[in-house]
Amino acid sequence: MEKDQDVTRREFLKTAATAAAVSALPAVGAPAIIASPSPSDAVGYGIIGTGTEGCTLLKFLTTIPEGRCLATCDIYPPNLKKGVETIGSNPQTYDEYHRLLDRKDIDSVLIATPLNLHAQMVVDALAAGKHVFVEKTMFFKEEEEKQIRDAAAAHPHQVLQIGLQRRSSVLYNVAMEMIRKGALGKITFVRANWHRNSDWRRPVPDPKFERLINWRMYREYSGGLMAELASHQIDVANWAIGAEPVSVIGTGGIDYWKDGRETCDNVQVIFEYPGGQKLVFTSILSNAHYGFQEQIMGDHGTLEITIGKGMYFREKVAKATGGAKENWWAGATVSDEATQKGIPIFPERVSSDEGFMDREMRLGRRWLASMGIYEYEEPHDPWWSELKNYFASIRENKPVAAPLEIGVADARGVIYGNRAVDTGQKVFWPKKQA
Amino acid sequence: MASQSLQKTFRFAVPPRMRLASTLLALTIFASIPSLCAEDAPVRYEASHDSMGTLFTIVAYGRDARFLAEVVNQAFDEIDSLDAQMSNYKPASELSRINRDAAREAVLVEPKLFQLIADSIRGSEEMGGAFDITVGPLMKTWGFFRGQGRVPTAQELSRVMKHVGYQHVQLDPEKRTIRFDVAGLELDLGGIAKGYAVDRAADILRSNGVTIALVSSGTSSIYALGAPPGERAWRVTLRDPFHAHKAGDVAYLKNYSFSASGNYERFFTLGGKTYSHIMDPRTGRPVENVLSTAVLAPRGVESDILSKFYVLGVEGTRRYLATHPQVSVLFYTPTGEPGGFARTFLQSPSFNLPTGSVAEFVR
Repeated sequence: MEKDQDVTRREFLKTAATAAAVSALPAVGAPAIIASPSPSDAVGYGIIGTGTEGCTLLKFLTTIPEGRCLATCDIYPPNLKKGVETIGSNPQTYDEYHRLLDRKDIDSVLIATPLNLHAQMVVDALAAGKHVFVEKTMFFKEEEEKQIRDAAAAHPHQVLQIGLQRRSSVLYNVAMEMIRKGALGKITFVRANWHRNSDWRRPVPDPKFERLINWRMYREYSGGLMAELASHQIDVANWAIGAEPVSVIGTGGIDYWKDGRETCDNVQVIFEYPGGQKLVFTSILSNAHYGFQEQIMGDHGTLEITIGKGMYFREKVAKATGGAKENWWAGATVSDEATQKGIPIFPERVSSDEGFMDREMRLGRRWLASMGIYEYEEPHDPWWSELKNYFASIRENKPVAAPLEIGVADARGVIYGNRAVDTGQKVFWPKKQA
Repeated sequence: MASQSLQKTFRFAVPPRMRLASTLLALTIFASIPSLCAEDAPVRYEASHDSMGTLFTIVAYGRDARFLAEVVNQAFDEIDSLDAQMSNYKPASELSRINRDAAREAVLVEPKLFQLIADSIRGSEEMGGAFDITVGPLMKTWGFFRGQGRVPTAQELSRVMKHVGYQHVQLDPEKRTIRFDVAGLELDLGGIAKGYAVDRAADILRSNGVTIALVSSGTSSIYALGAPPGERAWRVTLRDPFHAHKAGDVAYLKNYSFSASGNYERFFTLGGKTYSHIMDPRTGRPVENVLSTAVLAPRGVESDILSKFYVLGVEGTRRYLATHPQVSVLFYTPTGEPGGFARTFLQSPSFNLPTGSVAEFVR
C-alpha cells in the first residue's frame, strides 16, 4: 500500500513537471526562462557505493539542483566518510543498502558498487519502487540479464539508466550524426584503445582491505579491463555501427604486473559485427602514450574521438556516388588539410530558430577555431550531462540517454570478450529468438 | 571511469614564446638523498605530472615504492579532477559554466569550489583588492592571453575595469550559489588553484600515512610535508630574479607552504619598457618596482593569495603583516643597476610558528 502511494507521488511529480514545462513554453521570440527547481521539487536520491566512482558522481551531483542527496551507503567506513564530505550536506548514512531502499522519501538511487553487486541491487531498487542509475558495466554474469529485464518490465514507469556517459556527450552525439549522414561513408573498422602506465591499483592502508579496495583485481567481483574500460568503447562501436557484435576472439594475460592480481593487465580483442565490421580493442597498463580514444573508420573518412575532443579526417579517394544526395560530398573539395590535419568536430548544432546574433557568434567561433586560436569543446562534462539527463528523465519524461538495451548489449560484449580471452576460443553471440 | 582529463586543451592558444617564459625554472628544489644502507631505510619516490598547464612534481619517502607510487597517482588524479573543474580554458569545466551563467542566474556550486571562491573573496577584502580572481579581462586587454603584449588606451582600461572587481561576485552560502551583478565578469582561479591543488595533494598523501613529501606545482607553489630523513626541513632554493640558473635565497620548510610570484614568469617589452603580467587590479596596470616575492604560510591556498604582496609592495605588506602572525615574506626589488636587486625580509612582529613546523629564509 505504501509503495503504491509512493509510486503515485512520483507519477504526480512527473506529471507536474511536464505540465510546468508545457505551460512555461515561451511566446515566439521571447527568451525561455526555466527556473531552477526549489529544494522541495528536487528528486530525493540515495547513492549506494561512495568509493572513487561514487564520489565522482557525487561531486557532479552537488551542482545539479534537480536532485537532493538524502542518503549514502557504503560498507567501508572511510568511503562513507568521503561520500559525506563530498556531498557537503547531511545525508543519512547506511552500511546496508536494503535500509536505504526502505526509505519512502527516496525516489531514486544511484549504484556505484563493485560490478558483482550491480544486478541484485538494480533488481532490489526497482522492486522498491526507485528510479535507478547504475554504473557501467550493467551486469556481471550472463544470467543476470534476464533478472534485470524482468525487474525492469515489472516496473515500466521507473527510469533505468546505465552510466555510459558518452551517450550524454554532445560531442559524441554530433559524431554519430555525422556518421548517420554519411561523413565516413561505409564503416568497416573501429579501433579503440585504453592504455595506461600504472598498476591500476589503489593504495591499501591495511592488507585486510586489499580485496575490498582493489576489487577490480579479483575475478570474484570484477571483469577487469574489459568491464571497466572496454565497456565504454564497445558501446561507442555498437552506437557507430548500429548493431551489437556477433562474435569475438581475444587474448590477454598477467604479464607485467605480477602482483597477485587475477584480472589481466593487458587484453587484445577483436569483435565482429553482422556486416563484417570489426572492433579491435586493446588495453595495456605499461604504456600510456596513446591514452584512450576511439578511431572510427569508413571508406570516406575517419573520426578520432575521445571525451572532450574529436577530429574528422577525410579520405583522399573521392568515390562516384551515382547521383546520391550526400550532403557531405556535394561540391566539397578534398584538401590536404582535411585529409592530413583533420577538422575538429564542433559539438554545436544549428537550431532552426537560431537568431542572427547566435548565428554570427557561432560562425565567429568557427573562424577563430580555424585559425587555431580557439579550441571548441563541448559545454559540459559528459559525467555532469548524464546525471542532468537522468533527472530530466525522472522529472520530465525525457528519453533515457543510456537505457536497458544499450546496457545489455554493452554488458554482453564485456562478458563474451572476457570469455574469449579466458578460453582462447572464438565466442559467438547466442542466436536471437525469432 | 574516464578520470584522465585531456591535457593542453587551451581555449586560447598560448604562443610558445610565452609558454617557455612561464615554464623557466623559477627555482630549483634540492632534496638531500640519504644513504640507503640500512635495511629499513626509507625509499625515495619521485614523479611528475602535467596538469593545470604546468608540471606538478611529488617527492615522497616511505617503506614501499609501489605503495608510494599508488598514493602519488591518487594525488595526481585528484589534481586532474581539480583541473577539469576549475580550468577557465575548458568550456566543460564547472568554472566555465559559472562564468557563462552567473550574470543571468544564481549558479549552484560544488561545496569545495564554493569555499575556495569564498576564501578568495575574503583574501581580496583583506588585501584591499591587491589579490582578485576577476582580473582575467584585464589580462586580456594587456594581451597576456594572446601572446602579443600591448598597452591599452585609458578609454579601453576604464571600459574593462567595469568588468573587474571581486565586489561584483555575490555569494549565497546558504544556497551555495554564486551570482555576478555585472555582465562580462570572469572568475580566473589561476592565482590560487595551484596552491589549492598542492594542499589537496598533500592531504591525500597525509591521509594515506605518508609523512615525508614535497609537492610542487610549476616550482611556484610548494608544500613541504615533514622533512627528508636526517634533515630538519626541506630545502628550496629561490632563483635570482634576473638569472634563472643563479641561486638566490634558500627557504627551509617543514609542514609549511611556499609561493613565489615574479615578473620573470611572463612579461613583454615595448618601447624599452618592460611590462610584467602581474596586474594591480585596483589600477588596471602592471605592477612596477618589484621583481619577485616569496611567501611562507601554513597552507598553499594562503601563500598563493599572499604572493600578491607583490602588488601591495613592501610598505603595504608591512601593514598587513601586523595582523597575520604566521607569514614570512621575502621581496626582491630593483636597485636600478643592471642585474642588481635589493632584498627585504618581512615578518609579523608577533611571528608565531605552529609546533612542528619550520619556515625560514636563509641568504
